[in-house]
Amino acid sequence: MNPRGADDSANAGSGASGLTRREFLRAAGGIVVLFSIGRSLEAAGSAPASTAADVDAWLRIGEDGRITVFAPTPEVGQNLRTELAQLAAEELSTPLSSVGVVLGDTDSVPADPGVCASSAISTIGVTVRQAAAEAREILAAMAAERWGVPRSQVVLKEGRVVLASDPDTAIGLGELARGQRLVRRLKQPAPLKPRAEYALVGKSAPAIDGPAYVRGKAGFAADLRLPKLAYGKVLMPPCLGAKLVRVETASAATQPGVIAVVEEDDFVGLVALRPDLAERALRSIQATWEEGAHTSMAALYEGLRATARLEERVGVRGDVEASLASARHGYSASYRTPFAAHAPIEPHAAAASPQGDRIVVYASTQRPFDHRKAVAEALGMSTEKVRVIVPAVGGAFGGKDAPDISVQAARLARVVGRPVLLSQSREEEMSWNSFRPAALIDVRCGVTEKGEIAAWDADVFNCGSRGAEPPYTFANQRARVYECDSPLPQGHWRGIGGSANAFAREVHLDYVASELGEDPVAMRLRHLGSNARMERVVRAAAERYGWEDRRPPTGLGAGFACAADAGSCAALVADVEVERTSGQVRVRRVLVVQESGLVVNPDNLRNQIEGGVVMGLGLALREAVRYEQGRILSRSFTSYPIPTFREAPAVEIVVLPAPDSPPQGGATAALCAVAPAVANAVFDAVGRRLRELPLAPVRVRAGG
Amino acid sequence: MAETARPIVIRVNGTDRSLGVERSRSLLSVLRTELGLTGTKYGCGSGECGACTVLLDGQPVRACTTPVSHADRRAVTTIEGLAAKDGSLHPIQQAFLDVQAFQCGYCTPGMIMEAVALLRKNPNPTALAIREGMAGHLCRCGTYSRVVRAIQAAAAKMRK
Repeated sequence: MNPRGADDSANAGSGASGLTRREFLRAAGGIVVLFSIGRSLEAAGSAPASTAADVDAWLRIGEDGRITVFAPTPEVGQNLRTELAQLAAEELSTPLSSVGVVLGDTDSVPADPGVCASSAISTIGVTVRQAAAEAREILAAMAAERWGVPRSQVVLKEGRVVLASDPDTAIGLGELARGQRLVRRLKQPAPLKPRAEYALVGKSAPAIDGPAYVRGKAGFAADLRLPKLAYGKVLMPPCLGAKLVRVETASAATQPGVIAVVEEDDFVGLVALRPDLAERALRSIQATWEEGAHTSMAALYEGLRATARLEERVGVRGDVEASLASARHGYSASYRTPFAAHAPIEPHAAAASPQGDRIVVYASTQRPFDHRKAVAEALGMSTEKVRVIVPAVGGAFGGKDAPDISVQAARLARVVGRPVLLSQSREEEMSWNSFRPAALIDVRCGVTEKGEIAAWDADVFNCGSRGAEPPYTFANQRARVYECDSPLPQGHWRGIGGSANAFAREVHLDYVASELGEDPVAMRLRHLGSNARMERVVRAAAERYGWEDRRPPTGLGAGFACAADAGSCAALVADVEVERTSGQVRVRRVLVVQESGLVVNPDNLRNQIEGGVVMGLGLALREAVRYEQGRILSRSFTSYPIPTFREAPAVEIVVLPAPDSPPQGGATAALCAVAPAVANAVFDAVGRRLRELPLAPVRVRAGG
Repeated sequence: MAETARPIVIRVNGTDRSLGVERSRSLLSVLRTELGLTGTKYGCGSGECGACTVLLDGQPVRACTTPVSHADRRAVTTIEGLAAKDGSLHPIQQAFLDVQAFQCGYCTPGMIMEAVALLRKNPNPTALAIREGMAGHLCRCGTYSRVVRAIQAAAAKMRK
């Protein structure tokens, strides 16, 4: 009996080449369900000897009845693990406590399809939900076959399959899985559980692995105490772009506790018995560097403009140039956002452990598969010989992508033939990783006699296209996105260009509204056109706040902004207090109205929004990576102050229900709207239009 | 390795530990490397972030800037020593869970240790007093408001 076309020809070890490598499929009994998204399942079904490469998630029903979900994207604090467990448990009608989630282990999870953490729930979450639905159908079919009844007469309930007509006839999921060694893959998608029957999804659940965190037992990369663990340190250059000319390591090699000094081309590192001894020995290395061209912060924005190359056009409609030329009013301005650091409290760390002809790397990263590939290339090994496991990660925010630290740890470990832990100091963390791209954004806008924005033209330098297409509908619009030579290494950062693009757009819109003497919310609503989702959050935020009736007293101001990111829409109102003489801005209250589709875990979504608002405040008020002569000057929490307990404002959050839409990433949309809302509020308070972040006192005083 | 003639003796989570270590090493390094107590975290190495906070004779200290010699013949409590003997969580640990006052959880042990000391000194703090008392702790995930709520919830429970 095979009611949904289950294809069980792909038994483990029967030639599914990509899968047979994966030890767990061989070793563990039970039932494994493979699932792929974004590809035709029928096509997948016609090629039963599938490889792991076209599988996005899988799920095992163990002989003990436990469900284990395997998914690529690591947990970095977004509580993905709990939300995936909720989605899987829901489809299988099993208690949340019977579901475990394995993330970010290259030996046992599907290859990372390149998902960014902020949208993991909308991609991996939906995949896992579908895989669990498939598993439910397989289990139901097996039980129905056992009892000789049609599938329609069995249901899943509390971790068991039950005969609908006789609830005493039931079989546990583990019992069904017993003795099985099946790998199944379905030809057509199983139906999802009707939302009306949801018992777990949509309800707040605490983090399934929370107790370990409050006990100090979560196990971050630097916490692993492998047998014979040694500690590494790597020689870093004095400034960006420096080339190693000469190095003298003999004295380091004789320092107490030093096991080995490693020199491989430009890579110089050492391994010692203890971290303090490694640091001490590193200081005794004499190196001569050729510093090359220096870069300083003062030249940042002109440098971006000077090196710009048109990369793409997004959101193009109508004829922008003609419309600008014929517009009654024209409003142009430039917006600037500096480099920002991720500044996770946990610095980058990786522990590499040689095991026979393999090497296992425990890395604090969001991209274990990139790390595996890089380690394999650096060591001249095949990727199968490298296993990367992501333990608990102490914050990443897009900053833990690059594989350097894993490669360095692996190189050291290979030389000494024992596990080596490499963990960056705060200074190294702030100096030698990527940054949020700095951005320069020129906006030109043309307004008709009737006050309609007919032309919107944005030239976006260096921060990419994310968020460059406005949520509004203008008759003529265009965003040209330019790639530039970045003076600092840059990478992802919660929403990447989304925060810079939202800053430029939302401040400019506010500017145009004030020039025309129109209310900024009314101006937004008039141009939201067919964007019903954004219109809904904007209206709700204005209503909740009492926007129309607001009368802020002197020195206080309210600012509005909206942004879309990772599939969510957010509208945000910030109340600020501005001290005119000092230029000090204090954000007193923030209201966020957000729509994120189906909400899997309401309290977690709120947690993510709150955190995004706090991080957004850092961008708005203080954060800018300073650098001179190729040297990062923002190397500590004193020289790069992030938001603290004292600044975190009261945040009111309203999540608008949209349960019939798929779940969306909720941690970045509000973040993107914070800085423009605060800048608009500063204008409201003191009439100073600020177009460069951060909104530091010196800029607020100067008004520009 | 120039080690001390006399070992340093620290009562760690109720048990005396004799340590033949250099006196200038940081308490953090010794806890993590010599004693395997890795619940106490390195965040900055200069007392700016609070992730390494432990209790020294009941007072919160930054283990990263505290020489291990300062702990000689004194009592150190780390996050591992906070739960009851039967494993049940300290009310503050429980409150952090109940309120979900963390995301990545890296700053959490240091926050919890500081909160233990704070509530011993002031069993009924206002939200403002908590913000001031916790101001030396950084959380990049931005869970500050939740931490305040968690400490208030724990305080209410502990006063009963």
